[in-house]
Amino acid sequence: MFLISVSAAHLLRLYERFQFLDKDNRGHLRPEDFEAVLELSENPIGDRIVEAFFKPGQETVDFPSFVRVLAHFRPTEKNRNRDKGQPDPANSRTRKLKFAFRLYDRDRDGKISRAELLQVLREMLGMQVTEEQLQSIAERAIQEADLDKDGAISFDEFRKVGPLELGSAFILLTVRHLNDEVSSLSYWRSG
Amino acid sequence: MLPRIAPFNRTGFARTVPELGLLLLAILVLLEGSVLPLGAASTPETNTHGEANRSGAVEGHSNHTKKAFPVLSFNYESVKLPFEISLWVLLAFLMKLGFHLVPRLSGIVPESCLLIVVGLLVGGLIRLAREEVPPVLNSKLFFYCLLPPIILDAGYFLPIRPFMENLGTILMFAVVGTLWNAFFVGGLLFAICLIPQTPVLNIGLLPCLLFGSIISAVDPVAVLAVFEEIHINELLHILVFGESLLNDAVTVVLYHLFEEFALVGSVTVLDGFLGIISFLIVALGGVLFGAIFGFLAAFTSRFTSHIRVIEPLFVFVYSYMAYLAAEMFHLSGIMALIACGAVMRPYVEANISHKSHTTIKYFLKMWSSVSETLIFIFLGVATVEGPHEWNWVFVTATVILCLVSRVIGVVGLTFVINKFRIVKLTTKDQFIIAYGGLRGAIAFSLGFLLDEHHFKMRNIFLTAIITVVFFTVFVQGMTIKPLVELLAVKKKQEAKRSINEEIHTQFLDHLLTGIEDICGHYGHHHWKDKLNRFNKKYVKGFLIVGERSKEPQLIAFYHKMEMKQAIQMVESGGGSKLASAMPSTVSMQNIQPKNQAAPLKPKERALPQLSKGREEEIRKILRTNLQRTRQRLHSYNRHTLVGDPEEEGIKDLILKKQMRIELDRKIKEMANHLTVPARTQDSPTMRRARLASGRNTDFIPAQQQKGNKNSSDPQSFTVKPSADGVPVIQVDLASPQSPDSVNLFDETGQPAQNDDQGLMMKTKSSESDKRSEKDDLRDQQKLMRCLSDPGPAAEEDEDEPFLP
Repeated sequence: MFLISVSAAHLLRLYERFQFLDKDNRGHLRPEDFEAVLELSENPIGDRIVEAFFKPGQETVDFPSFVRVLAHFRPTEKNRNRDKGQPDPANSRTRKLKFAFRLYDRDRDGKISRAELLQVLREMLGMQVTEEQLQSIAERAIQEADLDKDGAISFDEFRKVGPLELGSAFILLTVRHLNDEVSSLSYWRSG
Repeated sequence: MLPRIAPFNRTGFARTVPELGLLLLAILVLLEGSVLPLGAASTPETNTHGEANRSGAVEGHSNHTKKAFPVLSFNYESVKLPFEISLWVLLAFLMKLGFHLVPRLSGIVPESCLLIVVGLLVGGLIRLAREEVPPVLNSKLFFYCLLPPIILDAGYFLPIRPFMENLGTILMFAVVGTLWNAFFVGGLLFAICLIPQTPVLNIGLLPCLLFGSIISAVDPVAVLAVFEEIHINELLHILVFGESLLNDAVTVVLYHLFEEFALVGSVTVLDGFLGIISFLIVALGGVLFGAIFGFLAAFTSRFTSHIRVIEPLFVFVYSYMAYLAAEMFHLSGIMALIACGAVMRPYVEANISHKSHTTIKYFLKMWSSVSETLIFIFLGVATVEGPHEWNWVFVTATVILCLVSRVIGVVGLTFVINKFRIVKLTTKDQFIIAYGGLRGAIAFSLGFLLDEHHFKMRNIFLTAIITVVFFTVFVQGMTIKPLVELLAVKKKQEAKRSINEEIHTQFLDHLLTGIEDICGHYGHHHWKDKLNRFNKKYVKGFLIVGERSKEPQLIAFYHKMEMKQAIQMVESGGGSKLASAMPSTVSMQNIQPKNQAAPLKPKERALPQLSKGREEEIRKILRTNLQRTRQRLHSYNRHTLVGDPEEEGIKDLILKKQMRIELDRKIKEMANHLTVPARTQDSPTMRRARLASGRNTDFIPAQQQKGNKNSSDPQSFTVKPSADGVPVIQVDLASPQSPDSVNLFDETGQPAQNDDQGLMMKTKSSESDKRSEKDDLRDQQKLMRCLSDPGPAAEEDEDEPFLP
């Protein structure tokens, strides 16, 4: 991977944050380091988000990877040149969708199975509902989205769900200030 | 009535319905025109008559002549006011009805235009019939009676999420845009007045600015009326509409400011500064008043569980009080009303009964509909009345300047706003926003409020205002629809909200909040999340009654969808024997919040008898759960109250009916066992739909009072004893969307198949092993019997165990 242009000032703030999280100054982060972010423990899907930073099988995340993940959350540029040679930048709509999809699909088999959806619902709704209600909802959700009737939601079905609504929601999958800091990172190649 | 007979009347005078509709309209207009002069004419009569009587009586009792007892007398005076009001309202309704009888016309011309024309006609008639037209659009009537229902309707059903997401943009347009418009128009008009060529027009700067501030505000009534018919996408709708609502604060401040200063004659910097402070107070004060009354209403609704009938009243009265209180302090009444409605809605909806909710919804729509109609008609009448003073230069200058300033304002502001927006506004969007800046009755009423003595140019102003209003409503209102088509502006998504969207939206919210936290950035999502937590923790518990305060939004949404579907099912299969023969039983424990520790074990197959204590429990459960599901209204469109199942596709219903017939056939074929699913879906809602006519919401069928019953009788289709593990036979009407259409389990080895028509049958092989033979047989026979049963009536012999 290589970067085409980087402005040091932009990255500085993220690097400071990285260092703040990296308490032992190891140069990389581990899952425990994310616990310093207090609000994450209250977040229903907090551990999923943390997990998303780590590549499968890896225990640590270094700064470039940290930034790469966050690059997904930049605003999408509408009139991007679609060069055939270059892969999509991290903040393209497809990539964002893919990122979110991976959060659901923890075992990375390319499909959101009923069990995985149930797990998500359980996390989000917590102890307030009965198991049966959760199952009903999961069942209904799968029914609505599952077009090829295989009992799971594939990435394409995921895209189609709630046609433009979800798509435009993903356009909003941005964190504003990241535009400044990561703007020059649009050429990072994602793994 | 008459219109309905017309199609059958071949030889009649009015052969077709549209013709008849027009005839009806003409009759009514004439009637209206004639009654009012009659009223005026009879007044002097009754007066003199009264005087004669009095004088006669004064002369002494001995003198009174014996007159014949008046068998039939006419006294218009005492009923004059209510009678006239009712007549106007009736006219309004019949007009609306008439328009819909002539569909071609309403396709081309927006309703508001037609109503103004009707008003013109009526005004013309009245003027012909007698000397003066009653001043119908007096400002008091307008601001205190006609405007509040429309605004409350808008505020109560305001889509909060898009509104909040675009709040910055909306505020920019409302505040900065209106200010710009006011100063631009006012200033340039003054400049024009200064030009020596213009015919006698010496209007000072301040009156010009006052005029500018009156004419610059986008009118919510007109915007609503026109935009409702063009169905543009949500973003544009909320931008223009939100702007029209929020600019009230600016208008109020500017109006009072310039009115005061125009009298005084000069403005100082201090006054300007005070004006800014005044603006903040007006806006925030209005919102504060609204929020306070909203919370009061929410709190009150917590205690209304015993007097359901007056629940809607709280909503209306508190909102109206909020409006009046704000007006009392010269704060922005519109903002108070919006704030009140928006604040109280989530809590009130959680507390009130379903019927009250429906009542509120329909009353609001009805009142706002009437108000809007009346406003436009009165606008027409008031135009005829005058007073007018036509000044070519002034009027044309006003119209042109309004357009120009709107365009410049929108373009300039968008340029700035787009730097901060994630979803930028395109040129097309900007055009629609600029074009949608309609002026309406509020401007006229504000002009009417001007004091004639202080403002000699009031008539000129009024004429100009009316011209602008007519121009925007007629020209812009009529052409916006074809323009939207021409420019291929994105239309409103007709797709229904699906459960997936809900799930994913919430998921995304959490995700973005998490990312923001990781970055250490306290952004939009962070604060929204904090507000939600605060709301959940403290506010909801305080304002929402009982257990509903803990119900998550997703569940409520889910219930709503299921109920909608169930109602649809029931209504579509209304007459068919099959539908009524398919009651669904309820497994109550699945609806309760998670009180019991263990989830439902499929193993337990005991069929306990129904004890007295259990009965009471069941009754209680029924009562609480029947209040649960709500129908949330997503639409703020007055013309179509979305959500009625009948209005949804007929094709769907036919399809479902077919599937149901299929299902019946399949059931008859199946000679095998049934097991019990571990879950239930829309059974409570189905049952609710059936019980909708109940007096109290408790429906205890006759058999429940009997001593021992067979608890798993499928014909007692209310509640089953809610023991854990009670097998419940649930027959769900087949549909492709219902998660569990038919829970029929086949033990003889036929695998569960997805029927090509969408029947869903699932095997639960683990469960089926544990059932006893006896139970299976009984259940199966029950099912057969239940399907062949013609009606839901509780029969005498039904609770005999049907065992051989």
